[in-house]
Amino acid sequence: MSPKPTIILPGMEKGLRVDSRILEERIQKAVSDGHRVIEVIAQGQHGIGGRLWKAGSESVMVRILGTSGQRVGSMGFPNTVIDVVGPASDDVGWLNAGARIVVRGNATNGTGNAMAQGKIYIAGSIGARGMTMTKHNPRFDPPELWVLGGVGDSFAEFMAGGIAVICGQNPQNTENVLGYRPCVGMVGGKIFFRGPHQGISDQDARIAPLSDEDWEWLTQNMKEFLEIVKQKDLLPRLTGDRGDWQLIVARKPQEKKSGTVRNLKQFREAVWNRELGGGGLIGDLTDRDRSPIEIITTGTLRRFIPLWENAKYLPPCQASCPTGIPVQKRWALIRKGQIDEAVDLALLYTPFPATVCGHLCPNLCMQNCTRHFSSLPAVDTTLLGKASLQAKSPEPLPPTGRRIAVIGGGAAGLSVAWQLWLKGHEPVIYEMRDKLGGKITDSVPRSRIPDEVIEHELNRLAEKLSHRNLGQAISLEAFVKLREEFDFIVIAAGAQTPRTLPIPGSDRAAAALDFLRRARNDEASVGEKVVIIGAGNVGCDAAAEAARAGARDITLVDIQEPASFGVERRHAEAAGARFLWPRNVLAIASTGVELSGGEVLPADTVIVAVGDQPDLSFLPEEIATQRGFVVVDDRFRSSDPRVFAIGDAVRPGLLTEAIGAGRIAAEAIDDLLRGRQETYDRLPMLDRRRVKLEYFDPRVLSFEDPASCALQCASCGACRDCRLCETICPESAITRRTLEGEAFEYVVDADRCIGCGFCAGACPTGVWALVENDPME
Amino acid sequence: MEPMGRLDPSELSVKDLPWQILWDKEKCSLCGRCTAACPVRAIELGVHRKRILQIPVGLQEHPSNLFSLYHGIRQRTDPAHACTGCALCSLVCPNGAIVPIRSAETDKLRFHVNAGGTPRRRGGRRNDPRSLLDEIKFIRISMLTDPALDAGRHEFELRTLLGRVLPPEQIPTVIAQDGWAPPVREIYPLIIGSMSFGALSPNMWEGIQLGVAYLNEEMGMPVRVCTGEGGCPPRLLRSRFLKYVILQIASGYFGWDEIIHALPDMKEDPCAVEIKYGQGAKPGDGGLLMWYKVNRLIAAIRGVPPGISLPSPPTHQTKYSIEEAVAKMIQSMSMAWGFRVPVFPKISATSTTLAVLNNLTRNPYAGGLALDGEDGGTGAAYNVSMDHMGHPIASNVRDAYLNLVRLGKQNELPLLAAGGIGKNGNLAANAAALIMLGASGVQIGKYLMQAAAGCLGSEADRCNICNIGLCPKGITSQDPRLDRRLDPEKVAERLVDVYLSFDTELKKIVAPLGRSTSLPIGMSDALGIADHPAAERLGIRYVI
Repeated sequence: MSPKPTIILPGMEKGLRVDSRILEERIQKAVSDGHRVIEVIAQGQHGIGGRLWKAGSESVMVRILGTSGQRVGSMGFPNTVIDVVGPASDDVGWLNAGARIVVRGNATNGTGNAMAQGKIYIAGSIGARGMTMTKHNPRFDPPELWVLGGVGDSFAEFMAGGIAVICGQNPQNTENVLGYRPCVGMVGGKIFFRGPHQGISDQDARIAPLSDEDWEWLTQNMKEFLEIVKQKDLLPRLTGDRGDWQLIVARKPQEKKSGTVRNLKQFREAVWNRELGGGGLIGDLTDRDRSPIEIITTGTLRRFIPLWENAKYLPPCQASCPTGIPVQKRWALIRKGQIDEAVDLALLYTPFPATVCGHLCPNLCMQNCTRHFSSLPAVDTTLLGKASLQAKSPEPLPPTGRRIAVIGGGAAGLSVAWQLWLKGHEPVIYEMRDKLGGKITDSVPRSRIPDEVIEHELNRLAEKLSHRNLGQAISLEAFVKLREEFDFIVIAAGAQTPRTLPIPGSDRAAAALDFLRRARNDEASVGEKVVIIGAGNVGCDAAAEAARAGARDITLVDIQEPASFGVERRHAEAAGARFLWPRNVLAIASTGVELSGGEVLPADTVIVAVGDQPDLSFLPEEIATQRGFVVVDDRFRSSDPRVFAIGDAVRPGLLTEAIGAGRIAAEAIDDLLRGRQETYDRLPMLDRRRVKLEYFDPRVLSFEDPASCALQCASCGACRDCRLCETICPESAITRRTLEGEAFEYVVDADRCIGCGFCAGACPTGVWALVENDPME
Repeated sequence: MEPMGRLDPSELSVKDLPWQILWDKEKCSLCGRCTAACPVRAIELGVHRKRILQIPVGLQEHPSNLFSLYHGIRQRTDPAHACTGCALCSLVCPNGAIVPIRSAETDKLRFHVNAGGTPRRRGGRRNDPRSLLDEIKFIRISMLTDPALDAGRHEFELRTLLGRVLPPEQIPTVIAQDGWAPPVREIYPLIIGSMSFGALSPNMWEGIQLGVAYLNEEMGMPVRVCTGEGGCPPRLLRSRFLKYVILQIASGYFGWDEIIHALPDMKEDPCAVEIKYGQGAKPGDGGLLMWYKVNRLIAAIRGVPPGISLPSPPTHQTKYSIEEAVAKMIQSMSMAWGFRVPVFPKISATSTTLAVLNNLTRNPYAGGLALDGEDGGTGAAYNVSMDHMGHPIASNVRDAYLNLVRLGKQNELPLLAAGGIGKNGNLAANAAALIMLGASGVQIGKYLMQAAAGCLGSEADRCNICNIGLCPKGITSQDPRLDRRLDPEKVAERLVDVYLSFDTELKKIVAPLGRSTSLPIGMSDALGIADHPAAERLGIRYVI
């Protein structure tokens, strides 16, 4: 088919404007009919010249005369050439897919918007939002927009591809050929421009130098552009000076990050510190190091530091022993195989290790043993106590010649005398009875302790304490005399006078201590029914002895819950004694004991065990007493500086308390005699929770001998040199250091330690502690 | 810790605690970092005994026991060392072997945090993650109805005015008559609320100030920061950065003599002066900086001796009414800078807000009113004040704004809103909602600690130990061993990030409204909520 002649399509018909749809249909029909040159005399119809694919590969020329409407060449095909003979309206070449569009005047807004292929040549200037949203599909050549003049505002927004050339020839705005704020969101393509501008979106695009290749492309293609827009004579002007031209390219995403502003580090140095002065905001107020640190720190920057607190606290056994025997130290000696030393050690603290520790003491050390608090059996001190019969006496210090009178040869008096003898002084004992031992030999039931144990320990004492005046009661005159003769007097006279009940018939009752004394010598007869008023430990002893003397029906009565405990209580219960409380005793009749409420307990014998009072008739008035007991300070010194008082004369208590008081009083006297300051400073007890009993076998229920005890002792607060801390420390900060002799210590390298506290967490003995570091200003 | 001896009423097990440490024996390498890092020593190395029964198959031989020992991380259960859930252990663990888990059950610890008769005190904010602000939607999106704007493309002037704004027609008359017009500042609407030097660590405070200076001088954003009540470092007072600072005066009057002494040397006026009458986190309660946070540095800035506790009473000791407070304080503060600096009060949001507001509308020197809602944060307060006292911010701002509308003064007296903005991370949405309800700007504190410094606190009662100076991130600690964990430069960088991203988000919200040159203050027709009573109360649209 030969090409058909030019067809002319008018935009007006019979005085009326042809609808855009009709015109479009006519253009499409003309192409179908084989017309390849179409002249449209437009009357503002839209979309002229687009979508002419029906011509296939044959070229179609659309010439637009008159007034073109919007979107000229919209969706144009590569076969199409559109020539707008005059200015054009909005959106020239919208979504252009290949058409070449020439506008021989100005074009308004949106020129080239979203075009992906093809070329648009503008012989004048364009309005706002030109070359926006343009693309470059790699399958095709990039789209091009050539503008002879300048462009309006918001040029090239979101431009993603293609090439724009703005020649700056007679632009509408002679001061800015690029319009206001071009290139916002630009991500691709190139913009060549010539002439002044007032900035582009720096965040998205940058101005780059033209490469030789760019310049060659520009000059080559400029010729074609100028030919088409019939401005060939401008070629020298537009291509004469490469320096007139600039190029805009999009920033790559990674380029966008680094803005032109300085970073904070630079700002801090150059602006902040310069305005404020060195050290910034508070450089004038502090010179401390404020540089950043890690979370995990060492040295002075640690929040917590470990301390090796070896022997800084008393083990609970020792702390709760009124006598103050270093129980744990003895087990440690046994673990080292030094069993003799362990046994002998006791005699430095008590003259009665076998009698008291082994038999008569309620063993507060065991009651307070850390193991006991975790449902494990306490290590058995009585085994050690009983073994003390073999103990060797220690050597006393050289004689000082200082003499101290001790009034009373019971547990307290013998303790203080023993301690004073050990310190090289000369104690002189005054005992009103004809034998030493006080309650131990007087009123403790034989069932509680074999005689030979007491004898052995009394003999040991008698051997060392040569000055004993037996059967010698002290009167006021004698006391005053003693005070003149001796350096110090220690009152250890005990409590001998039974307290009585202010009730009818109280004289019918026996005093417990009297009864116990008689019972001990098998001189007591009680009948079948015995009522004991007062159900404490002495009452319990009386019950046991009454049973031994033949009683069948024994009742202990108390006004409150009985205070008895331990062996005494168990012995009384074993004797079948009944405990009645709370009961108020109204009278003691010949038939028995009358209780409030009318109850009568029939009794052959009634024993009163409600405590005893000291007999202080020898005491000068100026020595203070309270409720019948001597008043002393915490080191057992009375209101007379040369008179001390200990034992039941001060307050009723356990044998171990009397022995401990003797030791403390002896220390105090020794300090005074030697002119020393008070040196007696008891360490606090270790918090049991620091000790880790998990290291021990929970199934050990009893102990055969001292050696097996020693193995189960947790060594509370005393390092057992097990090296676990050294091993567990994650930073290898702990090392063991050998000191003189057998001594050693564990030390922490502060520059390695991070203060994790693993040493404290793992230490079996609770020696390690994690404490807060010293505050930092 | 194994209980020793008798059970105590406050003896708790791990199960009773709010946070339970999940420790993985298999993964743990016993490196000690977790126990070294734990702020409250809630974990320690434990010794564990293990027993395995050896039972021979067929029972031909006697069965036996095998005991062994191992070491592991153990959680302590006494109230003083209860895990706070901060998860610093997880942060430092190289093997991912440890993490605190929130107990699903209401914990028993809360019944025991009153030893010695002292009720629980803590930092943080109301332990309630719900937020009405999060429920507000922006339902007005210009769909070809009027020029929709593009947040990424258009330029926005997201500024607000602080200070008394005279109606344009009055300005010439007022100036002619009085020779004076109230000072007005054009500032960024996201203001950093009051957090004192002392409540915050030196490094945190400097980081914030540094970031603010950077935003102003490098990014062109007129961001302002309030000092809180702890004075202001003398160098800052004498620097040009003072213009970015809102000075606060509160009932403790700390550091004000230093501020007064600096008056002759000031290169710039401060942005404004905020008079604190109340705080949203603890309405009706005063401030307290405990003595162990008052070191030499804090003392120097506050003008007090070191090592003493610094209480701020709940009220200004000599001011008995809003009339008196306005008469005395607003005027005196204005005088200090020759009436060139806006002065405004800050109060706890309260049912009596309108009484305060109405008074301020009649006072020519009042430069605005800041309202602090119940969800605001604090460094230290009684738990009961934080959890149970205060007024929600949304309805309070709304009431105040509509009251101004009724008086025809809605463009004259700026309202600032604070308290829980961004508590669930929705900073821009919450801020925009309050602005559209009527706020001219919003103040944030806690959000910034979380976003700029990595504060771990949460409304699930995580961490929240700001009050005892043990902040694991060094944000609220005066102990250099903790404070130095925080790098002021990094805080500033994060603060800048926060503002830039907030700015973009705010634009994303306001652009579809077609606003680009002024904030949509009070533009409540843009708001909707799927909660009918809330919609009614706030006067916004009910949408489902």
